[in-house]
Amino acid sequence: MLNILPRPAKIESDIWVDEAIWGHRLYDEQTPWLTILEFLGIVQSETLANRAFIEEKVNDLRYTTYSRLYLRNILFNNPSLEAILVEFSDDETRWKVWIEQMNQDSGGLSNSDFSYLKSRFASFKDFVAIIKFLQGSAIEGDSNKRWSSKFVFPYGPNCLYEDLRIKDTSASNDRRFFGRTGELLYLMLSRSSKGPEILFYLQKLGLIVDTKSQIKRSKWDYLVATLQPQSDIDKTKPSGSPPYLPLENLPEYDAMANDWLGVLQCDMPDYDCLPHLVTIVGVHLIIYLLNRAKEVLEQPPQPNFILEIVSPKKTVIRDLAASSFLQNNNLPQQAVEFYIKKSLVDAEWKTCETSSDPIGDAIKFLNIKFGWPNDDHDMEGAGAPNKLVETLCSKAITRHASHLGKFHRTWAREIGLSSSRGSKRIRYVPTDSLLRTLVLCTVPFRMEFQDFLTELYNKYGFIIGDKQAADIIASGGADQEAFAANAYRLEQRLVSIGLLKRLSDACAYVQNPFALEVSQ
Amino acid sequence: MYDEAIQRILKRQKNFPPIKFESKYLTDLVNNFRSDNPKTVILTGTAGDGKTFYCREIWQSLATQDDLWDSSKKIQSLSLGNKQLVVVKDLSELNSIEKIDLLKKVAEAIVNPDTAEVYLLAANDGQLVEAWVEAGNESSVQFVRKKIEDLLYFDQREIAEVHLYLYNLSRLNAAKIFPRILNAIIEHPGWNECSSCPYSNPSDFRLRCPIVENRSRLEGNPIENIFKSRLVDLLELCDLNGMHIPVRQMLLMIANALLGHPEVKDRLMTCEDIPNILDKGKASLASIYRNFFGENLSERRRESTDVFSILGRFGIGNESSNRIDNTLIFGEDDPDLRPYYEKLMLTDSYYGADANYQRLQRAYLEGALPDDEEAFLNLLRDQRQRLFFQIPKDLASEMQLWQLTAFQYAGEFLENIYRALQRSERIKMPLINRLVKGLNRIFTGLLVKNQDKLILATSGSYSQARISRVFEEFISVTKNRGESVSIDLDANTGNPILVVSLSNNVAKISMTLNLTRYEYIMRVAEGALPNSFSRECYEDILAFKTRILRQLFVRRRSEQEEESSENCIVLRLINELDSDGMVHNPHVLEINI
Repeated sequence: MLNILPRPAKIESDIWVDEAIWGHRLYDEQTPWLTILEFLGIVQSETLANRAFIEEKVNDLRYTTYSRLYLRNILFNNPSLEAILVEFSDDETRWKVWIEQMNQDSGGLSNSDFSYLKSRFASFKDFVAIIKFLQGSAIEGDSNKRWSSKFVFPYGPNCLYEDLRIKDTSASNDRRFFGRTGELLYLMLSRSSKGPEILFYLQKLGLIVDTKSQIKRSKWDYLVATLQPQSDIDKTKPSGSPPYLPLENLPEYDAMANDWLGVLQCDMPDYDCLPHLVTIVGVHLIIYLLNRAKEVLEQPPQPNFILEIVSPKKTVIRDLAASSFLQNNNLPQQAVEFYIKKSLVDAEWKTCETSSDPIGDAIKFLNIKFGWPNDDHDMEGAGAPNKLVETLCSKAITRHASHLGKFHRTWAREIGLSSSRGSKRIRYVPTDSLLRTLVLCTVPFRMEFQDFLTELYNKYGFIIGDKQAADIIASGGADQEAFAANAYRLEQRLVSIGLLKRLSDACAYVQNPFALEVSQ
Repeated sequence: MYDEAIQRILKRQKNFPPIKFESKYLTDLVNNFRSDNPKTVILTGTAGDGKTFYCREIWQSLATQDDLWDSSKKIQSLSLGNKQLVVVKDLSELNSIEKIDLLKKVAEAIVNPDTAEVYLLAANDGQLVEAWVEAGNESSVQFVRKKIEDLLYFDQREIAEVHLYLYNLSRLNAAKIFPRILNAIIEHPGWNECSSCPYSNPSDFRLRCPIVENRSRLEGNPIENIFKSRLVDLLELCDLNGMHIPVRQMLLMIANALLGHPEVKDRLMTCEDIPNILDKGKASLASIYRNFFGENLSERRRESTDVFSILGRFGIGNESSNRIDNTLIFGEDDPDLRPYYEKLMLTDSYYGADANYQRLQRAYLEGALPDDEEAFLNLLRDQRQRLFFQIPKDLASEMQLWQLTAFQYAGEFLENIYRALQRSERIKMPLINRLVKGLNRIFTGLLVKNQDKLILATSGSYSQARISRVFEEFISVTKNRGESVSIDLDANTGNPILVVSLSNNVAKISMTLNLTRYEYIMRVAEGALPNSFSRECYEDILAFKTRILRQLFVRRRSEQEEESSENCIVLRLINELDSDGMVHNPHVLEINI
């Protein structure tokens, strides 16, 4: 049995079940990219405070965040920029009209003054070109999210800020899209043994900058800094209550950290490693989600994922991959029910049932265990402890279903692990970009193809070839040929994206293209 | 086991000489074992490449009268002067204990040239790698395993420090072996028996035996054999696209081409079938042009036979152009097309416009019944396959021969790139320019027309982004201060490679230019969208761009050329193309910090 850390004294949750199992919290609406952005903000803040990836006291993460509202207004709340460029012919007027308009219409700022920009650019046209360029590479730039939930690409520390809710001149952190998943990611990597190494590489890339470090900052980061007034650049505020990650040590933390290092050590230009980091975080958080659920359900660890390598015709693997998806998708909710039921086997609960004030004692018990009920509304119609538990169960499940219950489905789709392409059911069917990430994480230089399949199974529980599917084949779920054909399709896919070198009909090597030149 | 079976059959048919043709490495290998200091040899290759054949031939060249080749023995040996040659004709025949025991000894012989034994070991490379993994962790075994993996992976025959040759028979060029096999079959004395057959040369050509007809077509005109040269073209393109066809598959393909017929037993004709086929007027179904693609076989059988599945990827029969289809359908009545129709269709009344074709053609033009219509469309397929092999050289470009395949630029690739390089000719500049135009469109994601400079651009964040507007550099295509874009032959594999050089001091970047990639880049240059035409090639080319960019940054570091300074950032964005679709030196944006 793993040792669960004590839950925080102050609980920001109306039913302490999801958080007790998985932490506070995994959030479906926070996409993997936004998770990384939240994470990078924390690392930067903690680096400046000299304690990056060091958790001095467990579950007590407090850091500072940036708002960068000037930058965000310019990039994402600036609808008339191009109209002004076209409408007026001389630069002087363009700047004047634009600055006036921005000073008046910007959100979340009081007494704003955008006039600092004029002297920094050779012309208004150049300014527009740069804004358009930064908008083009923005994260969630094309989405229909509110403007304060759009993010400039994380070129460096001057690009990091938190998700906010803006109302007129005020800004508040409503955790709408920064739902603490990045905080959990930060805690997980801090609790792995690889924090310092990861920090080294993040600094090498210029994503994180230490004031003392000699590493040259990226020119893109400078560029983004240029769009902000000096007064806004260093303005910070505290992060609020700390997140909660229930387990101090888990092999999953190190597995994720190792994969990060696998990606970070590849020789890739620019910020090419970032999308891979984003994807692999997704894989590991899904495994974490399912592993924790399996532990609560007292099932052996390591979830399995049957992956269909997309085939033009319907195959038996397609059905198996869909069933595998469904089975995993149901695990978290089963864990929630089981967790509540299991807590009631407790002797204390039995005494409630027989006590003089069963309802009163039950409420006390449930309050200690689950932080519920909070008010009379929660207890409506509860005449007996059992009724109360039923209400709790149904409320916990409703609550679970609205966010955490969607995590597996949403994130699997986001990272390219699942899709319903060509079928009515969602199934595990990896995209090329996910496959590429898996190769970078798994193959330091080259690896024989069958070994690669074994490694994917050992690391992630991915079942692709017939050797990994031995149990399914033995139970008659599919024949060996079907899985062998699935592996063959993977081989073809890897060849086509330059990740596999076939020597003959019987021998092939998966290769990491970004390690190739270094090692040769 | 095939080799053994063939030897058994040969013994029974005493008067029937075997089909024999020259094998490329045989002399080298025999000489190795005859030398004073022979090295151990590992033969690998795909099933059907001839590993057992090589072992037997080498044995027989070295053996004295007492050393009889015994195909039932898994391991056999003979004396080579002061050494003992141990031959293992198929590693997979050994059980795992025998294998481990053997490989330990082989490792010793490879590491130490003074051992008393030298080995000749045949195995396909998958089994080879697997066997070495199982052979244990002794240092010599591990060392040799690593070396063998390196040889396989980097496609080399020998490597420093070890006493070993690794011959990969899958590297034999099918296009080079094919003519030899073909001649061995066509000129086989067994055909003499046909001379006494009444169907061999009847007065009415319609009563001619299709087998004899097929053989004579394959034999062709000794001066110019278009049929053979097109076949060699196809095989050469397979080689260039990394699709290996083993010797056994080529034998199978030729046998099927000569004997195929969909309506006889096993779908292969024997002499007894001929009268019946001719009687029913079904000789055209034995068309050698169909048989080369396995059309006589069931779809399942065709797809599961390697050689037909590989040739099937050319789509010959399904692909066509208006020009060719118009000739096939309307050629008889259209005055403009009539000359072509005569030349391509009427001249071949055996497999071309025979009575059946002409009847269905008329029915089709007059509005045929559904059954007849389908039958005619099937005939069109047959005719396209025939035309691919029969359009004369002087009509090839006019009729757009390669549009009959899925690779429209295959002819150009073969003739003007691959063969030109083999003849040590310079690649013509307009070709390189078109390639560069295609690359530029893929590299930038914009519909640019620049073709004399390679445009290197990024998105600023992700080097493989679809649209890249951050201008990094122009690279001159013609040689200029160490910059160049050229097409060469790879010294190791002999395949064409696209080479980009950024400076004399920075490593060159190269990418294998296979048939598929060439087709892709050319189609993009002609207007296809990079991302929709072929995902796979798109990814390949973007990865190539990433590698070029990496070297560009190396060059910048070494030349210390950095435009931005501490208080000023310099950026160049590609915002617009001029009216000719060209990118010029992009506007420099300076930002004061």
